[in-house]
Amino acid sequence: MEFLPLTEPVLLILLSLAAHPRHGYSILKDVEQMSDGRVTLSTGTLYGALRRLLDEEWIEPFHEAETSRGRQAYRLTPKGRRNLQLEVSRMKHLTRLANLRIAVKEASA
Amino acid sequence: MISLTVYRHALRLYPAQHRERFADEMTTVFRGLLADAATKGRMAQSRLCVREMGGVFAGALGEHWRKLAGDNIWLLFATRRFTMRTEFRFPKMTAVLMTIILAGVVLAIQRGEAIQHSLIDANPPVGPIHPVHSTLLPGVIIGLASFYVAGLIGWAILFAMHRSGVHRLDETSAGPKF
Repeated sequence: MEFLPLTEPVLLILLSLAAHPRHGYSILKDVEQMSDGRVTLSTGTLYGALRRLLDEEWIEPFHEAETSRGRQAYRLTPKGRRNLQLEVSRMKHLTRLANLRIAVKEASA
Repeated sequence: MISLTVYRHALRLYPAQHRERFADEMTTVFRGLLADAATKGRMAQSRLCVREMGGVFAGALGEHWRKLAGDNIWLLFATRRFTMRTEFRFPKMTAVLMTIILAGVVLAIQRGEAIQHSLIDANPPVGPIHPVHSTLLPGVIIGLASFYVAGLIGWAILFAMHRSGVHRLDETSAGPKF
């Protein structure tokens, strides 16, 4: 698929929404935690990515019982989940390949 | 909260559509981040403000660019080749502007020559003066004409490609880029 590989921030945003719906602040904090503080998204980056993901229907607004205007939650759509799984599979394949190559190199050294 | 006020003002840099959709959410998130940073000291607050302002400027620029050029403009850069998209606008205005500029230059040269002739009439030469032939003007005219012809040829190629419907082939394989 042409849109893979995903950029790291987008991958982390999708992973953050994989378990359950989250709103913007929660996504930022989760991304920071998942990456051990290495990836710190700004609100500009986050909402640029969310806008694209919404437009492509990878995510959708999740209407909670008490949703205020400034606190919108989002969740993955089936399409978004499928694409996330594809990306993870691609990365698994790459990691397996890399491990094999490194093992061969170490064995011959 | 000076930084919150500045942030709210900075959000005005975004296109209206994006602002209406996300400004409230972005402000809420920023308020939360500010509260977090306040517990970590002034340095953390400063770092947050710098990062957020940078993010807002870059984000606003990106949204304006997307609005102007369309969502699939990345294809031009991702593939490093010319990709015909339906959103691509043929440079008709470029051809018109180049014609106007060329006409302006020719007119200016003619006007200059007329002034030069009138000066010669008003002050006739008193001795054998060898006229100095300017080599700059013909060069400028040739250069402009070459640009004009090259532009016209490029436009004609694009127009022919558009008429052939080749750009529709791209629609079958285009996908979003994240």
